[in-house]
Amino acid sequence: MTAAADFATTAEFRAQLVAWLDENDLTPPPGEHSLDAHQAQHLRALKALYDAGWMRYGWPESAGGLGGPDILRAIVGEEIVGRGIDHPGPYSMLDVLTPTMIDYARPELAAEMVPKLLSGQESWCQGFSEPGSGSDLASLTTRAVQDGDKWIVNGQKVWTSFAQYATRCVLLTRTGGPDTPNHEAITAFFVDLDSPGVTVRPLRTMHDVDEFCEVYFDDVEVPADRMLGQPGDGWKLAMDLLPYERSTCFWQRIAYLYSRFDALIAEVKSVGQAIDSDMGETYLALHMLRCRSRATQHRLGDGQKLGPDTSIDKVLLAGAEQRLYDTARDLMPGVIELDDTAWRTEYLYSRAATIYGGTAEVQRNIIARRLLDLGKE
Amino acid sequence: MAQNDELDLLEDGLRKTMLSKSGPELDAALNDLGWAEMLSDMPDVAVPMIFRLLGETGSHASVLVDVVLHATGNEIGTDVELPLPYAGNTWVIWDRTGKTGTALGGLPLRREDDGYPIRVAEGRVAVAWWLVGSARAMLTLASRHALDRIQFGKPIAGFQAVRHRLAETLVAIEGAEATLSLPDVDSPDLTALLAKAAAGKAALTAARHCQQVLGGIGFTEEHELQRHVKRALVLDGLLGSSRELTRKAGAGLRARGSAARLAQL
Repeated sequence: MTAAADFATTAEFRAQLVAWLDENDLTPPPGEHSLDAHQAQHLRALKALYDAGWMRYGWPESAGGLGGPDILRAIVGEEIVGRGIDHPGPYSMLDVLTPTMIDYARPELAAEMVPKLLSGQESWCQGFSEPGSGSDLASLTTRAVQDGDKWIVNGQKVWTSFAQYATRCVLLTRTGGPDTPNHEAITAFFVDLDSPGVTVRPLRTMHDVDEFCEVYFDDVEVPADRMLGQPGDGWKLAMDLLPYERSTCFWQRIAYLYSRFDALIAEVKSVGQAIDSDMGETYLALHMLRCRSRATQHRLGDGQKLGPDTSIDKVLLAGAEQRLYDTARDLMPGVIELDDTAWRTEYLYSRAATIYGGTAEVQRNIIARRLLDLGKE
Repeated sequence: MAQNDELDLLEDGLRKTMLSKSGPELDAALNDLGWAEMLSDMPDVAVPMIFRLLGETGSHASVLVDVVLHATGNEIGTDVELPLPYAGNTWVIWDRTGKTGTALGGLPLRREDDGYPIRVAEGRVAVAWWLVGSARAMLTLASRHALDRIQFGKPIAGFQAVRHRLAETLVAIEGAEATLSLPDVDSPDLTALLAKAAAGKAALTAARHCQQVLGGIGFTEEHELQRHVKRALVLDGLLGSSRELTRKAGAGLRARGSAARLAQL
């Protein structure tokens, strides 16, 4: 079950992937809705896709990849998530954390670790937010203090997605003193979560899923060679990660939203023309988002540096996602409130779309300041 | 690179022309600049540039009629009274002699009782670029005002309630422009319909937010904003309003049973 590695265009690449997926059924087992089941499916799908080579395209050979442009990853993500083989949340971690490791970890560390992530041997998480540091991430207080050839970490992270399944964590810590400017005082580490002193506690959310966790660090020892980049590079690492989160990851999420929109069309189309305005509005929002994200994928693929312009993608995504689930609630009266279906979970989860990954307000401030030159707020 | 420089020069020239001329005078000037050849030889460059600039400068010309003529296999520049679909299942004539009537904001449009179905996709794309240009003009005016206008001891651009309106406007414009920037697509009619809907929506969003940010001065006749607001209102209705086109897109979803993924990598 080896993938054909012979393609001249991205369209051919996609056609070969689709043919492979038709022959190798990776559909999740029916009736498995628990997070544990999602995680098992995530690892199973990754293993099959990695063994066949698909998970390795678009990543450099130095980190176990097969090379090729970034856009190949977006295509694989679109097919995998769009077909419901994996959920966008767990899948997105690959596209966020792999570039970070390739750009910041020692080459030997990246070469050793990245294949473990891409092949589903391991999952990793991203320890950024803290109870006291949400929108103002640079104020984080989890501390790392050097002690010979290791660093001692103390502090607490929150909103750490899938930490309960993760073997390792890309962790932001404060290493600078009180006089160091915030943006130079942060250092990132690649931490083994089975280290003594790490406690992971899943956080029950309003949509009844334990996706997010609190992670506590009590005198956790981290070898110095697990530092990502140099002391003080942590803020830059976090900023460099955002464009990946908002390019290939968004493309997968959009594929997922379209698949749910198709499901909504199937549910409500017999109602007749009374639904046309609401459905048209939702389609327009999704279409605008997809067109914008397409342009962003191409800019990333052409080697352009993505920056504050991706805040526009984020605002469009959050708006389209909430519009989709608001429309679902409006056009399927009672379903979200009275029936226990996926629509309920997803509707509730969509309420967070304007909060996670940088709130809608923070995005608008970035757009105003950096894209419209309106100065500081 | 040389080609880009040439296009920049062309754009500068067109902008200057549009800032000094409007109506039949601008039509004549555009013909001298080779509009007919541009439209038939390189519509993908000419249409976005000319119509966006009409919006940005607030000028107008009857070049939309040519776009529709060309798309329906007719001769560019023909002096014909072509009924164009307008919102509410009505029709308008674009008077190429420049005679204005009761239409808002000075466009030479008048109602026409009867029309017949014509190909509108290319015209919708052109009007969509025009709307995007108008929206950008409004955003530029409002952003400049927000930086210049001092209240409570600081530029009002410093207040989040103000800057978020302007940010929201840019998001709407960029989203609309993205729908206009797809390469050759399989479903040009649906793509054009959605682009016109997105652009109309963006221009109306810009009108609402920029009017608010400009406060009292933006409500006066002497301030430029009102011209763009009126232009956006009229253009939104031309070849189908944002509201109507959105509803039509919704009806298409029902008929098809799924949502076409028009943007492909």
